[in-house]
Amino acid sequence: MKPHSLISSFNPANEPDTLASHERAEIDASTRLPVLLFFSSAIFWLLIGSLLGLISAWKMTHPWFLDQMAWLTFGRLRPAHLNAVIYGWASAAGIGVGLWLMARLCRIPLIHSKLLISAAIFWNLGVFVGVLGILAGDSRSIEWLEFPGYATPILFVAYAFIGIWAIIMFRFRKPGHVYVSQWYLFAAFLWFPWLYATANILLIWQPIQGSAQGAVNWWFAHNVLGLWFTPIGLASAYYMIPKVIGRPIHSYYLSILGFWSLALFYSWNGMHHLIGGPFPAWMISASVVASIMMFIPVVTVAINHHMTMRGHFDALKWSPTLRFTVFGAMTYTVVSLQGSSMAIPSLNTLTHFTDYTIGHAHLGLYGFFSMMMFGAMYYIVPRLTGWEWPSATAIRWHFWLVASGIILMVGSLSLGGVLQGLALYDPQVSFRSSLDYATPFRMVRGISGFLLLAGHLVFAGHFAVMLLKIGRRREGPALFAEPSKPEAATV
Amino acid sequence: MNKLPLIFLGVFLTFASSWVGLVVYPYFALGRMQPLPDEDTGGFFPPSNPGLAVAGQRVYAANGCVYCHSQQVRRAPLSTDIEKGLGPRQTVARDYLRAQPVFLGTMRTGPDLTNIGVRQPDANWHHKHLYEPQTVTDWSVMPSFRYLYRMQEIQGQPSANAVKGLSGPHAPPPGFEVVPTDEANALVAYLLSLKRNYPLPESPEPPVKK
Amino acid sequence: MTAGFLLLIGGLVFLSGSALFAFYWSVKDGQLDNLGEAAKTIFDDGEPIGAATDKFPSRK
Repeated sequence: MKPHSLISSFNPANEPDTLASHERAEIDASTRLPVLLFFSSAIFWLLIGSLLGLISAWKMTHPWFLDQMAWLTFGRLRPAHLNAVIYGWASAAGIGVGLWLMARLCRIPLIHSKLLISAAIFWNLGVFVGVLGILAGDSRSIEWLEFPGYATPILFVAYAFIGIWAIIMFRFRKPGHVYVSQWYLFAAFLWFPWLYATANILLIWQPIQGSAQGAVNWWFAHNVLGLWFTPIGLASAYYMIPKVIGRPIHSYYLSILGFWSLALFYSWNGMHHLIGGPFPAWMISASVVASIMMFIPVVTVAINHHMTMRGHFDALKWSPTLRFTVFGAMTYTVVSLQGSSMAIPSLNTLTHFTDYTIGHAHLGLYGFFSMMMFGAMYYIVPRLTGWEWPSATAIRWHFWLVASGIILMVGSLSLGGVLQGLALYDPQVSFRSSLDYATPFRMVRGISGFLLLAGHLVFAGHFAVMLLKIGRRREGPALFAEPSKPEAATV
Repeated sequence: MNKLPLIFLGVFLTFASSWVGLVVYPYFALGRMQPLPDEDTGGFFPPSNPGLAVAGQRVYAANGCVYCHSQQVRRAPLSTDIEKGLGPRQTVARDYLRAQPVFLGTMRTGPDLTNIGVRQPDANWHHKHLYEPQTVTDWSVMPSFRYLYRMQEIQGQPSANAVKGLSGPHAPPPGFEVVPTDEANALVAYLLSLKRNYPLPESPEPPVKK
Repeated sequence: MTAGFLLLIGGLVFLSGSALFAFYWSVKDGQLDNLGEAAKTIFDDGEPIGAATDKFPSRK
């Protein structure tokens, strides 16, 4: 690898031999530092974020818990939890997976890793300043955009580095087909800065007037999920599932179609968070229709993944990557159909303003996206470090703790939310009843938080052991694992 | 397969349309809306807020009230908000002209606050409630915002602005009083300013149901 | 007004422009010509179709 200058990188014609080096091992090794940097900071924020979430959850049933200090009040811990998880964990994990996939799919070693390392440092600095700012009382209270105005530019700088890098990598890719995962990744890398900049300018730097803020707020918040996390999660699934079971995606045509219909329908969805709100009726209606139309991309993805997996489900027994990824893929179907149904006005009446929405958000961001990221990390990290994961038992504990945790959380919040919604709707029922109905379920949710945190601690410990290379070394380089026959069930 | 380009083209245009519909349109249409002059008093609907209430919005944001309290009244039959007494009429875009930021909210863990200034016009009630919600409603799950108040020794006469009516375990010890900080005063001024019961032509009051 | 306006219009032009360009490029480059073969591009001699590339760490 010859060193590249930033300027010359925009013009691949000057670049003689990038395409010559294409050994997979070399590609993986080249991504080691930046990807591991993003992964380890993501896991750090995952722990912080789950702790903040756990405390917030218990405060909902025990309001006197830690109520003496301003920075520990529920109204600050909750946004701190959300932002630590969204920007600290999920985005950083997604960027890490995205970088590795980009290098693999461009079929060239990662170049300009210093750009990415600076990006990782800036990103963490931004999240750190932002979370502290929220706890200190500078929260904007604009959902998903609580970071104070002095934190967001730092994130944006980090982001700009990554965007520039993505364009450079794409320019230098080895000629050939651009795989569907790359479409997803590239779109996510380009959509996100546009979303983030618009929302920050129109809501924080030069706030627009009145209820238009609500429209921009939810256009942003929903698109972060739909046009940032979802494409990265699906990019990972479209690579991991075929690679792990050794079988191409069932219908590549459907996968491309799914990509574009996602962009089409998802971008309009956000306003379904504001059904009945102070907006022209057509804006809400358009969002409701688009939300229901999400059925199309979701079903194409579901069919595609199912047909690819068909006959290979026994692989779930031996592949950690596949088990997490397939859990995420199935949740994607469930959570998307649930989301579509929640946009139907008669059902929305019941679920709006209740814990049901919170359950839905966790199912999407955790059950789908975070599980996808765990799966990808189980695949990627051994290939970067040259060490296999030391303990199958730890992986199993991780899986069962977080899987049962998220199912318990979403189950309890959904049930409690429906009861709460019924109470909030019925004019004969007092407001107090809506609390009485929700409280036992919130307790259960509080318990599920312990399961998730425990699972994360297992994962973080395992990851640390892996980085420090403590313990038994697996035979042969992890990257070139023997094509294996499915082993006997070990679960 | 040859229809793919056509599908793509449609997708691009529709994607850009969400930007037009959900961002550009509100920017121009909702963003330029003006308050309505009130011919009887020479004032405006919605009325402008005192400076303290404007400062109170920052306190409301900093302490995350919006995560449990919505500020919107939706129409029937989409909701029973009006029947439940959240307000006399549906709230519309013009109601939020003076809000910065707009706290529409997505959760009702606590009651809606669109018209809290109408329902609870007493400043002391709000101070008591913020200081210790359970003294007002014993089943409340709202956390105490005690950190917005100062406990101090009474010097001679009790302060005029001391919070009155604190009883039981939450009462200050004898010889002490609880006084609101500037932040608490701003927050209460903001809460008292939340009155969306003035008439707007675009949102007529529905007839009261029996 | 001005910053917001530039952002809105600029965003629209940039976004539609880049999307149309991406589309134009993908058609011209033949990215959409042979989707059946394209699905196989992530496999190579080292990790061929039909071989699994991930497994649980062995228990030994």
